[in-house]
Amino acid sequence: MVRKFDVSTSWLQTKELCRYYRRGPHEVRAVDRVNLYLERGEFLGIVGASGSGKSTMLNLMAGLDTPTSGRIEIDGTALSSLTRRELAAYRARRVGMVFQSFNLLAHQTALKNVELALYFNDTPARARRIRATEILERLGLGDRLDHVPADLSGGEQQRVAIARALVKGPEVLFADEPTGNLDQVNTEQIAELLAGLNRQGLTVVVATHDLDMARRYAHRTVRMDYGKLVATDSGRTDGEPGQ
Amino acid sequence: MTFKDLILISTGNLWRMKLRAFLTISGVVIAIAAFVSMLSFGAGNQRLIEQQFLELGLFSTMYVYPPDEEDVDDSLAAAVLDQQAVEALSAIPGVNLAYPLEAFSVTASLDDKQADTRAQALPGAAVQTKIFSQLVAGSAYTGDSAREALVTEDFLEEIGVDSADSALNKKLVVSVQVASIDSGLTRVLQSLGERVGERAGNFNRDSLRSMEYWQRAARQEMGGAMARFVNGYLNHRATVSDTLVIRGVLKGRHGHRLRIEPVIIPLATALRFNTGGFTGSPADLASAFGSGDFFAAVSDSTSKSYRRVTLDLDPHVLYQPVKDSVEARGFRTFSFAEQFDEIRRFFFYFDLALGLIGLIALTTASLGIVNTMVMSIVERTREIGVLKSLGADEREIRLLFLVESGAIGSIGAATGILTGWIITRIASAIAKAVMEDQGIEAVELFALPLWLVLIAFGFGLIVSLLAGFYPASRAARIDPVEALRND
Ligand SMILES: Nc1ncnc2c1ncn2[C@@H]1O[C@H](COP(=O)(O)OP(=O)(O)O)[C@@H](O)[C@H]1O
Ligand SMILES: [Mg+2]
Repeated sequence: MVRKFDVSTSWLQTKELCRYYRRGPHEVRAVDRVNLYLERGEFLGIVGASGSGKSTMLNLMAGLDTPTSGRIEIDGTALSSLTRRELAAYRARRVGMVFQSFNLLAHQTALKNVELALYFNDTPARARRIRATEILERLGLGDRLDHVPADLSGGEQQRVAIARALVKGPEVLFADEPTGNLDQVNTEQIAELLAGLNRQGLTVVVATHDLDMARRYAHRTVRMDYGKLVATDSGRTDGEPGQ
Repeated sequence: MTFKDLILISTGNLWRMKLRAFLTISGVVIAIAAFVSMLSFGAGNQRLIEQQFLELGLFSTMYVYPPDEEDVDDSLAAAVLDQQAVEALSAIPGVNLAYPLEAFSVTASLDDKQADTRAQALPGAAVQTKIFSQLVAGSAYTGDSAREALVTEDFLEEIGVDSADSALNKKLVVSVQVASIDSGLTRVLQSLGERVGERAGNFNRDSLRSMEYWQRAARQEMGGAMARFVNGYLNHRATVSDTLVIRGVLKGRHGHRLRIEPVIIPLATALRFNTGGFTGSPADLASAFGSGDFFAAVSDSTSKSYRRVTLDLDPHVLYQPVKDSVEARGFRTFSFAEQFDEIRRFFFYFDLALGLIGLIALTTASLGIVNTMVMSIVERTREIGVLKSLGADEREIRLLFLVESGAIGSIGAATGILTGWIITRIASAIAKAVMEDQGIEAVELFALPLWLVLIAFGFGLIVSLLAGFYPASRAARIDPVEALRND
């Protein structure tokens, strides 16, 4: 059965979203008049060549970057109407982010790295520790709590990063090339992990240049080219990884 | 983020860069230590003077002097600081006691030892004031006419008595060479007799007819008589002696602020020495001639004028009204309280100058803080990006770095205060050793009052926060997208 996504009930919606960069005399249109919606509970893949604007798109939706023009609405509220503090709170409470290069703090343990995500949403110190430990154990890192990133494999580091994104209980997870630095085996594991989280109800957006992976795991894949959204493919149809 | 979170994260970051943090903090430590030890010296000296003032009751002591000769308006009669003036001064509201300074040269003998020194006549009531109550042994004398005396430690030292206690109740023979009209006349008559005989020997009858001769002889004899009178007055004085019992020994060396004569004698007892007239130096004599009270002093002690009168004030009254009313009578005043105000003003500028030096050091240290913070922000750009992606807002990032520089300042200031204190302890020990070595009573030259601790800590903290302000704003403005880019 094909899942239907209704635009009017989407969690996020962009309208004529633009993000231009000035580079000397030239203007780089990293994101150019993009109209995109994101349904609650879906697994969206954003594919495209390197430099096509995927990361910029994710940063805009996560409230980390500000559009040059156009708008982003979350549950009907324009991100542009939020103050900077409200925008920070949006990132702190509703959005989880995962990066290609993990971006863990090298001098902190896995546990501390995960706890860090709870410093910005008023979680008391004791609860921080308990919840960070729980999520790391859930992701199979129960025996890695006191390890610093350098002592972890790439796959483990990315799982710590995912734990950090999940510990706050976000509504959506934005993953920017989450497997870009991983080997085949770890790529599979991380992709499976994200798909599993999505099955438990988490909305997941993955930006990747790996078209094959997007096809296998995403409900829906959009393709970007020079900042423009050029095509939409439906991916897997049944909530299970496609063949 | 709670304040506790901020502190823990910031100190954690400092701990991570131990060497750099240590060096930066050291700058603050040195500056604050310098600031504290210098101001501690100022505060110590100020306290010392204040203690001295309190101990001697100087805050309620005022000196009154006769008017300056140049200042006297010719059309008005100059105010005279005589017994009548002393009584008038003691009637001024707020004045407990007024007593003149009467000092004269004496020869004092104790056992077989003898010394030329100076004595001061003092009424019994004045001996009770704080200035004269710093006794190391014995007590004040019992009355104005008691045959008793007080001596200072310095006097005992000079005369060669080691312990103050051993001097108590000993007999002190005080002798004064009283120059008087009598001694002057004695000399004149004595030599006149010699000369008359001498002249009779080579008497020339013929000369008697000459009026000129008589005139010359008369002039010669008159001039000679005057010269002999003065000579006799100065050099052939009568000696008046009295034997007094040493009642008490006064603490010596009250600083240079206060001069107390080595031997203090009850007023009425002292008058015995003084009836003859001047006992002072030829210079005093000359000035007495000049002021015209030479013969007055000899004939009538009540109209004698004093060089200084001491007022003992009620400690609860302000010195200014008393000073005003004394000056209204035409006298000059010297108020220790006023002097202390000046001393305090001096210390204010002294402290300000020292503090400024400390502040300059602190400014240098603050540049170190700025440098450290900017470097650490450049290094931690990606970390700041991560924090922002996790939901840290600009205020939180700014606070994080402000707390970090504030921690540098607080740790540096606290350690600096401790270091400064240790420095002053060492300096104080050395100073005391030197003072003892020189035979001076060892005093504490340094003080670390609470206000100094608070100001030092406050300065350390404020300067470090100011130093952290620019780096912190810079950190807050870091673009997370830039910071997190892979390329
Ligand atoms: N801060 C920037 N300044 C200038 N150009 C930028 C900046 N960030 C991204 N770009 C440009 O925007 C385009 C899209 O970049 P990006 O979103 O990172 O693409 P992708 O993630 O698909 O590789 C690229 O051409 C990139 O060079
Ligand atoms: Mg990218």
